[in-house]
Amino acid sequence: MKTLAPHTKARHFRRQAIDMFMSGLCIAAAGIGLIMLALILWMLFSKGAAGLSLDVFTKPMSSTGTGGGLANAIVGSLIQVGIGSMIGAPLGMMVGVYLSEVGKNSRFASIVRFVNDILLSAPSVLIGLFVYQVAVAPFGSFSGIAGALALALLAMPVVARTTEDILRLVPQAYRDGAIALGSRENEVVRKVILPAAFGGILTGILLAVARIAGETAPLIFTSLGNTNWSTDLTKPMASLPIAIYRYAGSPSADLIQLAWTGALLITVGVLMLNVVSRISLAAMRRG
Amino acid sequence: MLNQISKGLGRAVRAAAVAGILVGGIASAYAQEVIGAGATFPAPIYTKWGEQFKAAGGPALNYQGVGSGAGVTQIINRTVDFGASDTPVASERLASNNLLQFPAVIGAVVVVVNIPGVDGNSLKLTGPIIADIYQGRIRMWNANEIKALNPGITLPAVAVAPAYRADSSGTTNIFTSYLAAVSLPFQTNVGAANSVPWKTGVGAPGNAGVAAAVQNTKGGIGYVEYAYATENKMQTPQLENRAKKFVKPTIAGFNSAAAQANWAGAANFAASMINMGGDTTWPIVSSTYVLVPKNPSDPERAANVLKFFDWAFKSGGPAADQLHYIALPKAVQDQVRKKWSAVTANGKAVWPAS
Repeated sequence: MKTLAPHTKARHFRRQAIDMFMSGLCIAAAGIGLIMLALILWMLFSKGAAGLSLDVFTKPMSSTGTGGGLANAIVGSLIQVGIGSMIGAPLGMMVGVYLSEVGKNSRFASIVRFVNDILLSAPSVLIGLFVYQVAVAPFGSFSGIAGALALALLAMPVVARTTEDILRLVPQAYRDGAIALGSRENEVVRKVILPAAFGGILTGILLAVARIAGETAPLIFTSLGNTNWSTDLTKPMASLPIAIYRYAGSPSADLIQLAWTGALLITVGVLMLNVVSRISLAAMRRG
Repeated sequence: MLNQISKGLGRAVRAAAVAGILVGGIASAYAQEVIGAGATFPAPIYTKWGEQFKAAGGPALNYQGVGSGAGVTQIINRTVDFGASDTPVASERLASNNLLQFPAVIGAVVVVVNIPGVDGNSLKLTGPIIADIYQGRIRMWNANEIKALNPGITLPAVAVAPAYRADSSGTTNIFTSYLAAVSLPFQTNVGAANSVPWKTGVGAPGNAGVAAAVQNTKGGIGYVEYAYATENKMQTPQLENRAKKFVKPTIAGFNSAAAQANWAGAANFAASMINMGGDTTWPIVSSTYVLVPKNPSDPERAANVLKFFDWAFKSGGPAADQLHYIALPKAVQDQVRKKWSAVTANGKAVWPAS
C-alpha cells in the first residue's frame, strides 16, 4: 500500500468523520422511529390485553356494567373493509396499469395521476362527507354499504399509486421481449408484467387494507355505527374504529377498557395481515 | 386493452355484488330497529334504556353519539328516526323542518378541581368567582375572594389552571349559560354558546379530556357532566345557588332544579333549569332534547320512537339513577305525551298506536 500524502490523509479522515456522523444521524432517526413504534405497541398491549377475553369476540356491544364485547364491531369492520377492498383494490390496480402501461406520459395520464395524488392526500373525513351526500342522504339511511364505499374510495388511490410505481420497476426488456415474441399489448400486461410485479402490487393492496382498517372519520357519517348485531348492508353497521372512538370518550371504566382492547385488536390484525402476506409471498417465490 | 379493463371491472363489480348479497342475506330477518343520533351526553342512558326496552319486547335501539349539532342535521335530513340535542333548537328552525322537540332526561354539570392539599369537595365557590377565574381575573387559589368564602381551608399559593372543552359542546353551553346568568362581565366578554371565546385556560376534547386535564394539572379547574366526575372520583366544590345557600352536587339538588323549572310556559319545552330558586337546588342543570319529524315517512318507525320514550318515562327511572341522570318530573312526562299527537301520518296520530 502506498503511503498517502499528508493532505490526502487529512481529507481521508475528514471524510471518514463526516461519514460516521451522517451514519450516526441515520441510525438515530431509525432508532427514534422504532422506539415510537415499540412504545405504541407496549402501550396497546399493556392497556388492551387486560380486557381480552372470549366475551370480546362473542358478545355484541352493550351498555356499561353489562359485560358486553365487540363482536358486532369486529364483524362489521371485516365486512366493510372486505367490500371496500374488493371494490377499491381492482379499480386502483386498473388505474395503476393504465398509468404505467397505457397512458404513460400522455396528457390524459398526467391529469389522472394528478387527480389520483389529490385523492390520495384528501382528508378522509371529506371522502366520508362525499359518500354521505351521494349514498346516505338520498336514501334517507346510513348503511354499511355506504361505509364500504367510503373505504373503497380511500383504498383506490393508494393501490393505484403503488401499482404504477411497482410496474415501472419491471425492466423494459420484459415488455420488449414479450412483444418480440408476438404478444399483444394486453397479453404483455396480463402474462408478463403483472406476474412479475405481483409481490409489489399485493404489498400495495395490503397497505391500502391496513390504512382503511383503522379509519374512523369516513365511517361516522356513512355507516354511523351500531350497538346491536347487524350484518344488513342497508342499515347502520358497527365497526371497530367507531366503537373505539365512542367508548374512549365514555365515563365508564369498562367501556374505556374495551376501547383499548379494540385498538389492540386492530393493530394486531393489521400486523398479522402483513406477516401472513409476507410469509405466503416468500413461499410463492420459492415454490 | 380497454376491453380487458371493462371485463375486469365487470368481474370486480360482480364479485362485490355477490359478496354484498351473500352478506346481506345472512342478515335479513332482523326486527325493526330504532335509529337515533345526536348528543353524546345522553348516549349511555339511551343505550341502557334501549337494552331494557328490547328485553321488555320492544324493537332494538341503535343510538350513536355524533354530537348535538350533527344530530339536528341528521333529523333534518331524515337519515335517522330521531335526533338528539343538548340544547333546545330554535322554534323557527323546528317549524321550518317540521320537527317536534321534547325533553328526554335531565343532567347536571359540575365543577371539578385539583388543588394540592385541599379537599375539593369541601371547597366553596360562587358563580361570579368561577366566571372571574375563566376570565383571568382570579389567578391564584389563595386569592382573597376564595379565602373569604373558605375560612376553614388553607389555600395554597398555586396558580389556577382553567380547562375548557376544545370541541363544540352542549356541556359548554350549559356551563357558560350559568356563568353568564350570574356574572354580567362574563356575559359581555365571553357569552354563552356551544363554543365561546375563552379568555384564559387550555382546551381539551370531550368530557374525558377536560377531566384528564384537571387531574393532571396542579391547580386545575374544569367543568364536566356529573357522571364523569362521579366515575372518575373527582373533587367537586360546592356552589352557591340562587337562594345564597352552598350546595353539593346531589341528585336531590338536580331534582329540585327540575321541579322549579317553568315547563308549561316554555315553547317546545325549552325550559331553563339554570340558577333556579330553592334552598337545595344545584344551579347548573339542563335537560337534553329529542327531535322527531311531525310528518314521518314511515309511521311504524315513528311510533316505535315514541313507544321507546314512553317506556323510558314509565320504567327507565332506576337505570337513570344508576347512571347519574335525572328522570323527567312526572307532570312533564304527561305534558310531553300530549304533544306527541302532533306526529301524524295520513292524517292520523301515530301514537298511541292502537
